[in-house]
Amino acid sequence: MVFSSLLFLFAFLTVTLALYYVLPHNKWRNAVLFVVSLIFYGWGEPVYILVMLLSITEAYGFGFLIAKYRETNVRRARAWMTVSLLSNLAALLFFKYANFFLENLRLIPPLSEKIALIEGLTLPIGISFYTFQIMSYTIDLYRGQTEVQKNFVAFGTYVTLFPQLIAGPIVRYRDVDDQLTERRETVDLFASGVRRFLTGLGKKILIGDTASRIYEYAKASADFNATALGAWMVVIFYTLHIYYDFSGYSDMAIGLGRMFGFRFLENFDYPYISRSITEFWRRWHMSLGTWFKEYVYIPLGGNRAGRLKQYRNIAIVWFLTGFWHGANWNYILWGVYFGVILVIEKTFLLKRLEKLPKIVGHLYALLLIGFGWILFSYTDMAAGARCFLALFGVGVNALSSPVIGYEFLHAVPFLLIAVLGATPLPKRIWDRLAEHDWVSCGAILPDGREMPVTEDGLALSRRGKVFAVLTTVGCVFLFVFCVAYMVDSTFSPFLYFIF
Amino acid sequence: MIKKICNLATAVCFLALLFGLAAAFWILPDSPFSEAENRTLALFPEFSFETLTDGSFNAGMTEYFADQFPARPLFVRIKAESEIAAGRGENNGVLVGKNDQLAVRKFRVYESLLHQTPDMDYYYRSNVDAAIDALNAFAADASLPVVTILPPRSVDAAASAFTYPGEITDVLHEQLSAGLSPATGYIDLLPLFREHYDAGEYVYFRTDHHWTPEGAYLAYREIMKGFGMEDKILPESAFTVEEIPGFYGTTWSKSRLKFVEPDTIRYLSPGNEDEFVTDCLSVKMVKDEAGRPKKVKEIYKSFPGWLNRDYFTVKDKYGAFLDGTHNEQFISIPAMNRDREALLIMKDSFANTLVPYLAQHFDLVIGNLTGGVTNASELAEEYGCSRILIVYNWENLITSGSLAGIH
Repeated sequence: MVFSSLLFLFAFLTVTLALYYVLPHNKWRNAVLFVVSLIFYGWGEPVYILVMLLSITEAYGFGFLIAKYRETNVRRARAWMTVSLLSNLAALLFFKYANFFLENLRLIPPLSEKIALIEGLTLPIGISFYTFQIMSYTIDLYRGQTEVQKNFVAFGTYVTLFPQLIAGPIVRYRDVDDQLTERRETVDLFASGVRRFLTGLGKKILIGDTASRIYEYAKASADFNATALGAWMVVIFYTLHIYYDFSGYSDMAIGLGRMFGFRFLENFDYPYISRSITEFWRRWHMSLGTWFKEYVYIPLGGNRAGRLKQYRNIAIVWFLTGFWHGANWNYILWGVYFGVILVIEKTFLLKRLEKLPKIVGHLYALLLIGFGWILFSYTDMAAGARCFLALFGVGVNALSSPVIGYEFLHAVPFLLIAVLGATPLPKRIWDRLAEHDWVSCGAILPDGREMPVTEDGLALSRRGKVFAVLTTVGCVFLFVFCVAYMVDSTFSPFLYFIF
Repeated sequence: MIKKICNLATAVCFLALLFGLAAAFWILPDSPFSEAENRTLALFPEFSFETLTDGSFNAGMTEYFADQFPARPLFVRIKAESEIAAGRGENNGVLVGKNDQLAVRKFRVYESLLHQTPDMDYYYRSNVDAAIDALNAFAADASLPVVTILPPRSVDAAASAFTYPGEITDVLHEQLSAGLSPATGYIDLLPLFREHYDAGEYVYFRTDHHWTPEGAYLAYREIMKGFGMEDKILPESAFTVEEIPGFYGTTWSKSRLKFVEPDTIRYLSPGNEDEFVTDCLSVKMVKDEAGRPKKVKEIYKSFPGWLNRDYFTVKDKYGAFLDGTHNEQFISIPAMNRDREALLIMKDSFANTLVPYLAQHFDLVIGNLTGGVTNASELAEEYGCSRILIVYNWENLITSGSLAGIH
């Protein structure tokens, strides 16, 4: 099930909210969340609930052993941690990567006949996300950064918590361990969650999906008439689509979390205003970057073991980052591509970029990000290469065509809104006028700072009060618009007398 | 204080909308059919262990929610009008032009049964070439006179109403004109219809993808000329106009733009409908004396004339022509008690409005190309037809492969 569906909002969420708030105690409320999250998860592929439960049980069980030995016998604790991690990774490797490895082995001539792909293997949704969450518990526990979770339901709730289950943010166990047992749901936090959720829903449905349709159109048109404008449309609208889709989804997750009293870390920080790729990766999918940094890069020695080792570590991290996104060569290449750029930036480019006018850095970063999305979006790498060359007018029939030009011109107003919305400007202006940050109150910033849920200190001026009302009314309108687009997306007149 | 109040209001409004719409969804009765969309709506899916585990229950629930959502027309309209307000100039691939002329611009084009495209401007040349080749081969073999008309889409005929470029129209037009052999008797309708449309004549509907009865009359004249029967053409004055207002067609359904005014069907009545009878036939498998299976045609529906006026009172008013028999395979329209030449029409729904004119000259035998009937030669022989007319519009040409099967 996805958040941006009528079924989720008007069946799943209503029932969940009702059950959750009818029950008095967090213990019961966790049980509600655990059960509904399993249903949420199993909606598409019920069988995979078992895979997830098995992973949870393993990590939960091994957790006791790690906790038992970590003070007295570090080697043993380490061994149990390894067992726990490997058993969790095994599921991820099998379901996500087995066929990829087999397929590549088949490319070796003597093996091609002997090896068959595993049939009927589909990727359990969210397995990449929840496996990483489980691993963070195991490692945090081993490192003594958190206590063992004795309550199976509480631990299960942490892993399965439906807001972040299928698309992140990847919540580290130690960031929420207290919240699992002691959290306070308040009207203020709930309202802030509603605003955040609707912001995300709007980003996904009103902008992300529209950008996606234009992207699909441009991509398909290239098969008929390859043009440079068409290729730029592919890049531009995919760039917008993936940001609005993914960050919108994170906003929804964070908002939903708040509705149930959870406060998650931020996951996106206006990535497209970056002036370098280094900066981009500090702003994009931050929970994944943090995860790799904390559980891979630093354990490998990070940047403290000499230049050469640092480059090796960067290579490993970026290979894995790419591979994590999907079991295909284009994702690996995409990760390696960023790894190489990051090394180049670290050696000299970053310093030079800082001396140049800001606009140069912005253009440089946006172009490289956009080229990256070509790698990312074309699993057929030859088609990706054609799209890349077409950007520069290589291998195209024309620079533009009348219908593609028409499509582009009519997308310009949308494009302007989408571009502006990817910068902090609209929010900054609104917050200034409203004298209050209505959407981020209650947020936990990447550096760990907690934004207060309500600021009681300053009274609002007259204008602030007007904007307070506007924000509230705006939420209602935003919700109605999102529902309208959701209803329409399934609206399909059956034109039988077309025949 | 105001912050607290606004927070409370936000929470209450959100929950009210969420629970209110959910309650309305479950309480309001389900409707089985949507007239506006011309289709049956999804009902509560069957629940069992099997449907739950194979995912069909979940898929069914998604459809059920979408189809029975409360105030659905209102929500769909909000979306449609915000798209126009945002300067997109279209909704769901439907352009809005001068005088509220609507036209579908993007289509899911056909290459093979397996390949689905998103909504596109472009089309597969190879698919149209296959149709051209099939028509050329068919006409070369046929010993009877053939006339082929391929009615353009609204976006082609009514091009002057839009700022949308004519790129695709030009390419397709050129491909057809260059590819079809003289034996097919191909008549190029595009310049004719554009000329009449631009002169302000009502030749294509604004809200439907079909031509109007007046547009069909133009085509009728061309067909008669094509058969060398120019002298037999009935003047427009031979028909009396019957107006059926309030027609919202398929394009309107797709666009969902409420502000667009409805069309009026101006039916040109020859006044002699009761002299005709329409028989709908279907193929049935029976066993012959030796017990071998054989195909027979069987009349399963029959009505006087060619109109079912009941359709004029519902949304699908174009369906009145040939009783909305869009998917019937074969239709025969003989005139009663008269011995006349028989004309075979291999067609799509554009031909339905040609029937009143052509029936004045011929007994009609109709094979529905979009219903999968392609064996024109056999049909012509079986019914003793002396002429063949092919009517197939550009939209079908690019979105299906039926015409390529004609033989």
